[in-house]
Amino acid sequence: MRWLQRHIRPEQIREFSLLLLIVAAVLIFGSMIDGYYTSRTFNRIASSVAIITVVAVGQTLVVLTRNIDLAVGSIVGCTAYFTGAQLAAHHGLPPVVAVLIAMALGCAMGAINGALVAYGRVPSIIVTLGSLAIYRGILIDYSGARTVTTDSLPKWLIDLPRLNFITIGDLDIRAMFALAVGIVVLFQIGTSFLNVARRFYAMGSNPDAAELIGMPTRQIVFSAFVLSGTLSGLAGFMFLARFGNITVEAARGMELQVVAAVVVGGVNIFGGSGTVFGAMLGAIMIAILEQSLFRLQISEFWRDAILGLLILMAVASDAVILNRLRAIWSRTELKLVTRPGTGAAP
Amino acid sequence: MTPATGQLRPIDTAAVPPVLEMRGIAKRFGATQALEDVSLTLRPGEIHALLGENGAGKSTLIKIMTGVYQPDRGEIRLAGKPVTVGSAAEGQIHGIAAIYQEPLLFPDLNVAENIFVSHQNRGAVTNWRQMFREAESILASLGVALDVRSPARGLTLAAQQSVEIAKAISLNVRVLIMDEPTASLSAHEVAQLFRLVRDLRSKGVAILFVSHRMEEVFQIADTVTVFRDGRLISTRPAAEVTPQKAIADMVGREMGLFQRRAAAKKGEKLLAVRGLARAGVFEGVSFDVHRGEVLGFAGLIGAGRTDVGLALFGIEPATSGTIELNGAAHVIRSPRQAMALGIAYVSEDRRQLGLSLPMSISANISLPVLARYLSRLGLIRTGEERATAEAFRKRLSIRTPNVDLAVGKLSGGNQQKVMLSKWLNTRPALLILDEPTRGIDVGAKAEVHAMIGELAAEGIGIILISSDLPEVLAMSDRVLVMREGRQMAILDGDSATSQTVMTAAMGQEMAA
Repeated sequence: MRWLQRHIRPEQIREFSLLLLIVAAVLIFGSMIDGYYTSRTFNRIASSVAIITVVAVGQTLVVLTRNIDLAVGSIVGCTAYFTGAQLAAHHGLPPVVAVLIAMALGCAMGAINGALVAYGRVPSIIVTLGSLAIYRGILIDYSGARTVTTDSLPKWLIDLPRLNFITIGDLDIRAMFALAVGIVVLFQIGTSFLNVARRFYAMGSNPDAAELIGMPTRQIVFSAFVLSGTLSGLAGFMFLARFGNITVEAARGMELQVVAAVVVGGVNIFGGSGTVFGAMLGAIMIAILEQSLFRLQISEFWRDAILGLLILMAVASDAVILNRLRAIWSRTELKLVTRPGTGAAP
Repeated sequence: MTPATGQLRPIDTAAVPPVLEMRGIAKRFGATQALEDVSLTLRPGEIHALLGENGAGKSTLIKIMTGVYQPDRGEIRLAGKPVTVGSAAEGQIHGIAAIYQEPLLFPDLNVAENIFVSHQNRGAVTNWRQMFREAESILASLGVALDVRSPARGLTLAAQQSVEIAKAISLNVRVLIMDEPTASLSAHEVAQLFRLVRDLRSKGVAILFVSHRMEEVFQIADTVTVFRDGRLISTRPAAEVTPQKAIADMVGREMGLFQRRAAAKKGEKLLAVRGLARAGVFEGVSFDVHRGEVLGFAGLIGAGRTDVGLALFGIEPATSGTIELNGAAHVIRSPRQAMALGIAYVSEDRRQLGLSLPMSISANISLPVLARYLSRLGLIRTGEERATAEAFRKRLSIRTPNVDLAVGKLSGGNQQKVMLSKWLNTRPALLILDEPTRGIDVGAKAEVHAMIGELAAEGIGIILISSDLPEVLAMSDRVLVMREGRQMAILDGDSATSQTVMTAAMGQEMAA
């Protein structure tokens, strides 16, 4: 037990138990659904995970700083539509440019949110609730309620979702899923080792102290929203590639899935703790639930309700279980011991 | 450097060139002149105590030193060279750091990261292994054993302050400002802290020590500076000052430490508590309170005194034992029930449990008994509400332009008075005061003490929980001493001395 406590933190236990929960979910759904353990199921879930994960990485950064970005669904929708419209009009556009267009647009939208929250001092829930509606409104106006259709898009884009990164036995690891995993690895390493990124944790953990030791707190918040927007832009491109047909309703309500992924993944909604890796586990859990419930022919409304329930359960378990674990940890470990007999006796 | 009035020559450290000099510093906020022509010199290896009532300008001076505020006039010299401290980050580059009453740690970051968090130039990539090793060696040099990999969440206040000190050392501070670092520490923890502070002094750090606890100041300081109304009144070697002299400088008049309250006439028995316990927190607490009596609760921090108060008021109800009020037994399960029984509890935490800071003074005072102020339509009769607040303002001399002001805008002492008003307005029979004078200045303290005397004289039974031992001794008719959740003794009148109370609180055998 002592060894366990020294080398493993309560937060890691939480991530591990989520992993167990995912395995349990797979086993349960596997017994309920015929032909569940196929590469088709895996790819369905993986491509859903890929998109949610990329957005959830950005959301994690925002939530770490004690904020929330509800506009991600609208940003994904806008960038998917805008990039799709550009590609439909200019078939010769190089893939790299198309990705950059999507990310730049997402970056700009995130920057507007970030500026209002960090420099305008408006609570993020208000700002992004507003921009959620505004961005969607702009999309409807810009699109004139037309749809980007699959047959108007260049062939490379339509083929992209089935592009393999690597094949392990029967399983095809698609490029888009590999990209999402790559982003998670990149940001996990970044947030663990880059001093600039550790500021997200510091800032969310104690904003007053961050201010007092001269951290650029506004820049930190601003950059979290910019990164969230940029990653949402990238996810918008992936969304376009996956579905091809983009309506003004694209990615509507995705913020619920993303926030659920982040919270279920153990990122503290009050900021300061949680990991990008956890958020990906959360995204996997949610994608499994979504796909499996779909296969079980449970209505979409119930799926949303279950997501909501999952958020509530995650937050409740955070409050109860994690605090309990932390209490056990600190009782046995964090005793202040002073060496006797040093310094002048009072 | 123009010597301020009453300033005497500094002590023998005068031979050492000063590390920090503040010359003719002035700062104004709106109509308030917070600082006026203040000149202060800090020398390496000196513990310099700063005394003054709340609002005397100590905090403003600290904030100017650390770069949070900019002075309107005056000059700051660091090792003889004039500097500007434009921000807190710049202050740290100059080697000036501050430790506050509530340490400013990042609860989710681990101990090592907290120590090194404000290092400006530690490269782009965190070398965790090296950081853990260096953090461990700094803590070891302080004689403190802490797991540097644990998050700071859950550390005791004393451990948190050790981390703050380690942080200061890692930054190679030349000037360390400690703003009331002992306010929430137990006696044992204060001793540990003082050992660390003396260590720092021997390493040549200049320490500016701000405290309201006189005996601590004289225990540790080499030099004592007193502020009053934004001016520096005196700077003297500690050996040449007595607490009475320092207090006289602070308030501008001679004044006894605490006036002993004249014992009031003891009325009939109001409260009888027998074998009260809350599982795992405290047990075996039995005492009586009579009308007009002040029962002091003494003990170290964490002895369970506040928990007894919370149990009596139903916030954290007792799990066993009996409570009798006016001869009738009651099981108190909620504050609402306690209030109905005539119990009021003035919490030690003004911000969290006590007051609604954005609300006006009058709204705060009427809050617990709002029903009394409702018209027949269920609307609040603000005129009456204000009249009550006005009455309390006169009675407790709350210093405010009007009672519609938000409580958050008042000074600590005046907030305390509003809180007292709020609970007196419930017309309690039993008043539980938990640390009623913590963090408020000497003048306001004396007023609160006078108020306690008056309330007892009116026949209210009072339980006074306080960590300020001279205060407990001066105000109480009897003193109940607790230690680690147990009742150690009830000492009455003459047998209660600082010696006997501390003996019981430390769990030592009583000398016969």
